[in-house]
Amino acid sequence: MSTLRRFTISIFIGIFVFSLIGICGCTFKSKTDSSNTLHLSTPSKIKGLDPIYADDLYGGTEVSRTYEGLLQYHYLKRPYTLIPNIAESMPDISKDGKTLIFRLKKGVLFQDDPCFKATGGKGREMLADDVVYSFKRLADPKLVSSGWWIFDGKIVGLNEWREAASKSGAADYSKEVEGLKAIDRYTIQIKLIQRSSQFIYALAMSFTFVVPREAVEQYGKEFINHPVGTGPFRLAEYIPGAKLVWVRNPTYRNELYPSEGAPGDKEAGLLEDAGKPLPLADKLIVQVFEESQPMWLTFLSGKLDLTSIPKDSFQQAITPAKELSHDLQSKGIRLIKYPELDITHFSFNMTDPVLSKNKYLRQAMSLAYDEDQYIEIFYNGRALAAQGPIPPGIAGYDQDFKNPYRQFDIAKAKQLMEKAGYPDGKGLKPLIYATLSDTTSRQSTEYAVKMFREIGVKLKVDTYSWPEFQAVVKNRKAQVYAFAWGADYPDAENFLQLFYSKNVSPGPNDSNYSNPEFDKLYESALTMVDSPERTELYKKMARIVIEDCPWIFGAHRMGYALIQKRLKNYKPHDFDHGRAKYYKIDVPSK
Amino acid sequence: MFEYIVRKLLQTIPTIFGVALIIFILFNLVGGDPTYQMLGKHANQKQIQELRHEYGFDQPKYIQFVQYLKQIVTFDFGRSYATKQPIGKMILRGIGPSLTLAIPAFLLTTFLSVIIGLFVSYFRGTFTDKSVVVACVFGMSLPMLAYILFGQYFLAYKLGWFPISGFEVTFPERFEYVMLPILIWVSVSVGYDVRFYRTAILEEVGQDYVRTARAKGLSEPRVFMKHVLKNSMVPILTNLVIEIPMLILGSFLLESFFGIPGLGSITIDAIHNSDFPIIKAMTTLQALLFIFGNLATDILYTVVDPRVRLK
Repeated sequence: MSTLRRFTISIFIGIFVFSLIGICGCTFKSKTDSSNTLHLSTPSKIKGLDPIYADDLYGGTEVSRTYEGLLQYHYLKRPYTLIPNIAESMPDISKDGKTLIFRLKKGVLFQDDPCFKATGGKGREMLADDVVYSFKRLADPKLVSSGWWIFDGKIVGLNEWREAASKSGAADYSKEVEGLKAIDRYTIQIKLIQRSSQFIYALAMSFTFVVPREAVEQYGKEFINHPVGTGPFRLAEYIPGAKLVWVRNPTYRNELYPSEGAPGDKEAGLLEDAGKPLPLADKLIVQVFEESQPMWLTFLSGKLDLTSIPKDSFQQAITPAKELSHDLQSKGIRLIKYPELDITHFSFNMTDPVLSKNKYLRQAMSLAYDEDQYIEIFYNGRALAAQGPIPPGIAGYDQDFKNPYRQFDIAKAKQLMEKAGYPDGKGLKPLIYATLSDTTSRQSTEYAVKMFREIGVKLKVDTYSWPEFQAVVKNRKAQVYAFAWGADYPDAENFLQLFYSKNVSPGPNDSNYSNPEFDKLYESALTMVDSPERTELYKKMARIVIEDCPWIFGAHRMGYALIQKRLKNYKPHDFDHGRAKYYKIDVPSK
Repeated sequence: MFEYIVRKLLQTIPTIFGVALIIFILFNLVGGDPTYQMLGKHANQKQIQELRHEYGFDQPKYIQFVQYLKQIVTFDFGRSYATKQPIGKMILRGIGPSLTLAIPAFLLTTFLSVIIGLFVSYFRGTFTDKSVVVACVFGMSLPMLAYILFGQYFLAYKLGWFPISGFEVTFPERFEYVMLPILIWVSVSVGYDVRFYRTAILEEVGQDYVRTARAKGLSEPRVFMKHVLKNSMVPILTNLVIEIPMLILGSFLLESFFGIPGLGSITIDAIHNSDFPIIKAMTTLQALLFIFGNLATDILYTVVDPRVRLK
């Protein structure tokens, strides 16, 4: 009996204690933030804060708050323009285009951290050796960075250094690499194997951001959670999977808000802070929202400064005329629309005997797929039907071009089916269609099944988790599959490489398309500088792909951002992940 | 009893081995290949080979399995494929948030369910009993997602009684963020538990000793609290112990919607990413919890029911 009583009493005490703490919790108000605090969100958990692993948009964004690279994108100018970041100026490039000399800004300090023992925790100056060390980390095979591709086969001697590290089991960072040298404290020389006009974009990507060796060695495996950069913010609090708090880095160098921008920026108030020292905000609180509903409600309650619009809330926020609803307008919320540099598509597996040899079949399927209807149903109209592989906004996109195989036309598609040897689909076995198992993918698949059925093409649908799906596609075990590609940098080459035969699976050419004529043009364009001639080549390559139809071109999506009235200086940008340094909270209206 | 405990602990070894073997086979058969995910969209064949070598994927399967067994013994599962974070630390970081949500929710649910179970058993067959049973069935029928959407929209956003989402590591601030998830957890679970406990209690109400107690002139509350509840403890304890491993593993839905960085969301992410080291760690942890939970139940049986002897 006494045991039962003790058991019951224990339960009561437990409930009482937890309830008491809970009630106390209710009476505590949230910590008050300084008024110049930005409240941002991220829709995905951050994997860590080591630049060499920042392979997704959200990881790249967080890393960019505290780390910096040699170059950065101009925040306001369009088309996208590279400018120096920790480099003093744009590089000196040799006549053959193979040697790049970067000079670093002097006095750029790493943030204060106990890892700097020689200076008693004071952040030391960032030097050319740090850049070389950081680039070598990207190549270190032990670290298995997903960003190695940006240097792979491009810098003289770096692949050999990696090879040696792989053989010996440990990378020797003291061993010199011919193409990657610190000439003096502030000068770096990079020698390329061949001229590449795209290489320079790598130096603005988060993979190449500069880290101090002391921090890597001091924190070891925990370095991923302990960033020590030169950037505008430093990490004040990190709850993995829940929240990051960044505060102004007091030792940040004197970098100023840009004084010039794109047409219309001045009228939009984006130049009001021209010449002011960055960052403009004191603190950033980044909350992880893996589900869209709580993010949306938090924004509506005014506790988030910026959000995208969840699919299910779109009609609540946007009128049929694609304008912001009156209700949200009355709260001072602003809508900003912008094209995203991406493309969705179906890939045909061009190593498959049925699809690879039958261009008419691929063209017929392309004609039978109504993209406009798809955009209405799945993107609430927020996308532009793609006519080719290059999205609007970068050189090579042809605004007036209409892809003859992407104008929804069932009659013409049926004619092509006859030419393909499958009138009304007769004689054609169901095509193996690989897709993901999430709700939207399954709904999209239903739509595709319906579309292709019109011309007698049946799909045998296999659903997979994301890792399984990747394995199926990379091992060429399906015939048709849907994918999307977002730009890594603002050059059409980044999209056209998806058709280069040396990039076939497991590389990014997931349709395994191979055309010697295309390859020849692609290789020529690689060594050309940005010019009307190169743009023409890009257009020519796009036309070849359009005619061969290894993809059904889908859509270039439009971004819809909502911002609170108090958030100033917001301008969408596809690549400048560190742009929060330009944001400002308008204190009086908060 | 000591011998019994030692024997049971020794039995955990083949059980864990069996669990490990099943997980290893399942993962290798249907788990997906994490290689492509780890290397990203620009992978090439050489990188894939290097990665396979670096992570030991190119080793024969039996060697990989032995490595896995070593990891179980040392409980050092290395680093996550997806996040590169040390798994031990990930688990330690996740246990706190998961338990902050789960323990109060579990205790409240148990307390309320037992009390309501006793109450409706006392009023068995009356309108009150039937109404509570109908309410329980209704509550059970609604998916947790419906409670979450309602709770976040009305209780948090419209009425402002709770934060919509978020988490703090400091005390007592973190409790502010788990109040609404706890309320939802209790609302979802209490219906099932009340029905279960009501059935367990009603089985005891018809026993001879209850008639004897009533014949002795004991009041009904005393009959229920002193005799019926004590004799119902065996099925109640069994039910509770089954739930304990789930508490530590967290609630994926609640953790995702409320931004609580617990073990539930870590596990689900690992499954989505074919993050085998985390899957191995979590399944081993779960198996151990089940085994020790069952052992604890057996011991508790002897405490609540002196007729039970462990041999």
